[in-house]
Amino acid sequence: MTQLLQSLGHGVIDGIAKLGYAARLFALLLAHSGLSFRRLRLTIAQVHFIGNYSLVIIVISGLFVGFVLGLQGYNTLQRYGSEQALGLLVALSLVRELGPVITALLFAGRAGTSITAEIGLMKAGEQLAAMDMMAVSPVARVLAPRFWAGVISMPALAAMFSAVGVFGGYIVGVVMIGVDEGAFWSQMQNGVDWLTDVGNGVVKSVVFGFAVTFIAVFEGYDCQATPEGVSRATTRTVVSSSLAVLGLDFILTALMFS
Amino acid sequence: MLSDTDFVALENVSFGYPLLSGATGRLILDGVNLNLRKGSLVALMGGSGSGKTTILRLLGGQIKPQAGGVRVAGLDVPALPHAELFALRRRMGMLFQFGALFTDMSVFDNVAFPLREHTQLPEDAIRDLTLLKLHAVGLRGAAALMPSEISGGMARRVALARAIALDPDLIMYDEPFAGLDPISLGVTANLIRRLNDALGATSIIVTHDVEESLAIVDYVYFLAEGKIVARGTPDEIRASDLPYVRQFVSGEPDGPVRFHYPAQDYAADLGFSCAPAASASQASEGARKPGAGP
Repeated sequence: MTQLLQSLGHGVIDGIAKLGYAARLFALLLAHSGLSFRRLRLTIAQVHFIGNYSLVIIVISGLFVGFVLGLQGYNTLQRYGSEQALGLLVALSLVRELGPVITALLFAGRAGTSITAEIGLMKAGEQLAAMDMMAVSPVARVLAPRFWAGVISMPALAAMFSAVGVFGGYIVGVVMIGVDEGAFWSQMQNGVDWLTDVGNGVVKSVVFGFAVTFIAVFEGYDCQATPEGVSRATTRTVVSSSLAVLGLDFILTALMFS
Repeated sequence: MLSDTDFVALENVSFGYPLLSGATGRLILDGVNLNLRKGSLVALMGGSGSGKTTILRLLGGQIKPQAGGVRVAGLDVPALPHAELFALRRRMGMLFQFGALFTDMSVFDNVAFPLREHTQLPEDAIRDLTLLKLHAVGLRGAAALMPSEISGGMARRVALARAIALDPDLIMYDEPFAGLDPISLGVTANLIRRLNDALGATSIIVTHDVEESLAIVDYVYFLAEGKIVARGTPDEIRASDLPYVRQFVSGEPDGPVRFHYPAQDYAADLGFSCAPAASASQASEGARKPGAGP
């Protein structure tokens, strides 16, 4: 019993200590972000690596999610004779929820893991220590450009996901099932509001971008410099950022649409 | 005490890595005093875990001692604010044990890295300086290769070129000879000496390689269990009859340095604890033969 309490206490203290360390790193990251914008080349290279290389998985996933939304949406709407509203349903589902959320989950798996593993292996190979000894801050030179690249890439990828998803819904709904094309697009145009729907979706994707990329960067920087440590940190990145995305999504949805 | 000619000084330094509980762990360094005159090349020798690398990390300000002073170029390293510590580090070059090259950059970009980060030189000048440094370590021809395409010994030499890119005042080498073939070993040893003299730098080598080091250094410190146990010029070290130095210089298995990590009785570990005394002593006798320690 005492042991149980002891390990519980240790767990709580470790958790709080880690949270404190993460908060300090976040503050340090923001304070050291100047270089990422003064030497934009560093950040652009990371946008290319993190963002561009995630495009294929985002586009393909977006297309299939659009297909499924088209099929499921049509099946439900036609029961009430409202299949004309398919375009609206597909678009709203994507820009409000599925676009930012699924993109963030895929982003955590595709880019978050690579950021964590790269930073973790740089730490294990003493590259971060070497940089530090060369009077170059690893937070400014390695962490910040990756962080900002992730923050910039996420909304762009989410927008791409939603656009391709709408196109997927169009292929299934209009081209394959035969929903009226004019109704599909006009209902969408009338029903989707730029500010409340698209705008809030963008806000969500930016917040998810912050959360996922920071968790990835933090886990890489904080990991034990061993093969096992790096592999654990990579797993933690996926688990923590997925949970963070889903939790934040609920909070943001409650704030935005309630 | 730091005299006018001392460039580096450790004064009664004690250090132990902090434990998770917040307390200080076993002392890695215990009251260490060490002085390096400007322009000298000094070797720091001792067995694994004797605290040699910790001294380099203290000098670079990566860790702070629990007690004592660390001074480099007249500055109190642990007390330096971040910006001033970074300014001091620009005057230092450090060669890490495995090179620590940036794996996403070519050999050329690795060596050019400190120049690009800390100078406003045009790319032409950076190119010339980088090739100059690479030529000094004999790897100008490998400039376009990636770190994954070169051998461990070559990586060490590239890291050396990178460490001297900004013509540092203090160069620290962590095991520069480990894993080098005999040819590279001799070349690297001479290179370290020549670089020290040509750059007018002060150098400190952490090493196990007795012969190669004694041939090039001005002074030697021996560390054991966190304390300086012997010091002297290479000739004094060769002539020393201190058991610790004798064991290390001649590579004797028996001596004050134990080969075996402290453990309970070997026979007991093998489950012979209840056996008759004779067979237990045979078992521990057997343990001594293949090993190198008492």
